[in-house]
Amino acid sequence: MSHDTQEVSSNDAHARGPLLFLLGSGLVWLVISGVLALIASVQLHTPGFLASCAWFTYGHMQALQETAFVYGWLANAGLALGLWVLTRLGGEALRAGNWVTVGALFWNLGVTLALVGIMAGDATGHSLLQLPRYVQPLLLIAYGAIAVAGVLAWSGRRNETSYASQWYVFAALFLFPWLFSVAQVALFVMPMRGVMQAVTAGWFAQGVFTLWLAPLALAAAYYVVPKVTGRVLPAYQSASLAFWVLIVVGAWTGGRHLIGGPVPAWIPSLAIVSCSLLVFHYFVVWMNLKGALGQGGAVMKLTSFGLLAYVIGGCADALTSIRGFAVITQFTYFTQAQQQLALYGGVSMLFFGALYFAVPRLTGKAWASAALIGGHATTAIFGVLMLVISLGVAGWTQGQALLKPAVTFPEIAAATRPWLLLASAAYTVLLLGNLMLVVNFLQTLAAKSTVPTATLFQATSDIKETA
Amino acid sequence: MKNGTLFFLGLFTSLTVSFAVVLLANHQLGALTPYFDDGEGKAFPDRMPGVAARGQLVYRDLGCASCHTQQVRRPGFGADQTRGWGERQSVARDYIFQPFPQLGTMRIGPDLTNSAGRKPSALDAEDLMNLLYTGQGAMPAHAFLFDQVKVTGEVPAKALKLTGSAAPADGYAVVPSEQAQTLVAYLLSLNTVYDYPESRPVVQAAAHAEGAHK
Repeated sequence: MSHDTQEVSSNDAHARGPLLFLLGSGLVWLVISGVLALIASVQLHTPGFLASCAWFTYGHMQALQETAFVYGWLANAGLALGLWVLTRLGGEALRAGNWVTVGALFWNLGVTLALVGIMAGDATGHSLLQLPRYVQPLLLIAYGAIAVAGVLAWSGRRNETSYASQWYVFAALFLFPWLFSVAQVALFVMPMRGVMQAVTAGWFAQGVFTLWLAPLALAAAYYVVPKVTGRVLPAYQSASLAFWVLIVVGAWTGGRHLIGGPVPAWIPSLAIVSCSLLVFHYFVVWMNLKGALGQGGAVMKLTSFGLLAYVIGGCADALTSIRGFAVITQFTYFTQAQQQLALYGGVSMLFFGALYFAVPRLTGKAWASAALIGGHATTAIFGVLMLVISLGVAGWTQGQALLKPAVTFPEIAAATRPWLLLASAAYTVLLLGNLMLVVNFLQTLAAKSTVPTATLFQATSDIKETA
Repeated sequence: MKNGTLFFLGLFTSLTVSFAVVLLANHQLGALTPYFDDGEGKAFPDRMPGVAARGQLVYRDLGCASCHTQQVRRPGFGADQTRGWGERQSVARDYIFQPFPQLGTMRIGPDLTNSAGRKPSALDAEDLMNLLYTGQGAMPAHAFLFDQVKVTGEVPAKALKLTGSAAPADGYAVVPSEQAQTLVAYLLSLNTVYDYPESRPVVQAAAHAEGAHK
C-alpha cells in the first residue's frame, strides 16, 4: 500500500476534535496517576509520609494511582487510538463524533468522582475494580456512548475483509461493557457470597487486561508497525488464531492469584493451564510484530519496547503461575512488578508509540519538539526498566524472606527498602518523561499549521534520524 | 473474518463461557452452609458481632488489605503455619458470613486471618490500639483514628497507656475514636481456630504429598 497518498486523510479531520479530547484527557490522568504512584511508592519506604490523614493511607493511594492509570490514562488513550484505527481502516469518516465527545466528558467526570470517592474511603478493595460502586453505572453508560462510534465504524467499513487491528478494537469495545456490567451485578448489585467475590473479581481483573487493554494496545501495534516499516507482517495468517486464543482463554486466567487460597484447587489449576495456553498467543504476536525491532524513530522504539514487555510479561505470568514460583512471588512486590510490566511496559508503551504516530495525522501538524519526543521515549523506557527491575528484586527478596519464619516484618522492610527507594526514583523519572509528553502535546495543539501538507511528515522522518 | 455476525457471536460466546466457569465455582461455593458440630453443639463459623462487622467496613475503607492478607495457605506451601498465622489452611467456609471478605493481595505486613486466635502471640485490645497509634516497622501510625482530649478530672478509661515519645502532653490523653474501637473489635473477632472436615484431610494429604516428593 502506498502510504504517501494515505498519510493525510480528510477522514482524520472529522475525528480530530473528539479523539484529541480523549487523548488530551488521558494525558492529564497520566500525569495525575504519576504523582499518586510516586506518593504511594514513597509511603512504602517512608511509612510516615502523609500518614496523618485518613485520605492519604497507602491503601487509598495505591487504589487511586491504579484507577487513574487504568480508567483515566489507558481507557481514554486506548479508546482514542482504537477509534482512530477503526476509522482509518474502515475508510470512512468518524461517525457519531458528538457521542464520543459527550461520552468522554461523562467518562472523565466519572473517573474524577471515583478518585474523590476512593479518597473518602469508598474503594471496593478489588484489584483493577477499585471504582466506588456509585460511579460504575455512569462509567458504563459513558463507555457505551463512546463505543457507538466504534460500532458504526466497524459496520460501515468499506472493505468486507477486515484486519487484525479491527478485530482487536471491536473485541475490546464490546467485551469491556460485558465484563464490567456482569462484574457490577455479581459483586455489588447481587453480591456473591464469601470467596466467590474474590473469584469474580479475579475474573474481571484478568479480563480487563486480556480482553480490553491488551486488545486495544495490540490493535494500535498491528496498525502502526506495517505502516512504518512498509512491509507485510510476517506469519500474518496466524494472527487470527492468536486473536481467538487471547479472547477465548484470556478471562480463564483469573484464578492465578488464588493459588493456595481458600478456593477449590481446580480454580487456580485452570488458571495455570490457561496462562500456559496464552503463551501461544504471545508467540504469534511476537512473530507478527518483531519487524518493529531495530527500526529508528520514537514510534518504533516505543512500540518495540512495548512489544517486548508484552511478550515477556505474558511469559512471566505463565511462569509465576506455576506453584513452585508462586509460593515465592505471591503476595509480594513481584506481582506489582508484573502488573507494571504488563500495564506500563506493555500496554502504555504501545499506546505511546501509536500516539506519536497518530497525533500529527490527527492535528495536521508536526510534533512541536523532536527533542521532547526523544526525551520522553528515553525516560519512559529507562523508567519502566528501572521500575520493573527494582520492584522485581524487592519482591523476590521479600518472597524469600517470607518463607523464613525467623525473619520479622521490620527486617523484611529494611531489606527491601533500597529497592523501594529505587522504585520511587523510577516513578520520578516516568513522571518527568510524561510531563515532557504533555508539554509537547499542548505545544503541538497550540501551534499554527504553517507547514504545507506535502512536507508535513518530514519532521517525523527527522525524528527518526535524531531520536 | 468476513462474517460480522459470526465474529460477534464468537466474541460473545467466548466471554459467556468464561463467566460460566465463574458460575460453576459459584454453584460449588455459593451455597456453603455453616458446619454443625455435634460434639460442640453449635455451628461454625460464628457470625460476626455487629461491632466487628462495622469494623470490617473501617478495615475496607482504609485499604488495610493493600498490605495484609486474610488467607492462610496450606501447610507446606509457604511458611504460613510456621509463622503462626494459623494451624490450618483457610477454606471457603471461613468467609461465608463476611459481607466483604478481605482476602488481600500483598503481605507487606503479617496475615490477619487468625489474628485473635494465634497462640501464644495474639495481640490484645491494648496492644492493637498502641500498634495502630504508633505504627511499627513498615506500618504507618494511624494517629487519625485517635483523639487528643484535654483531661479534666479523671483520665478516660479508654485512654491509651503511652510512654516515651508517643505519650501526649501533660494534661492530655489519647482516646480511640469509634472507628478505632470498631476496627480493633473486628481484628479481635478474627479467628479460625475451628477445624472443618474439608480443612483437615486436605492438610494431611498435602503434607503427605510434600513428604513423598522429598
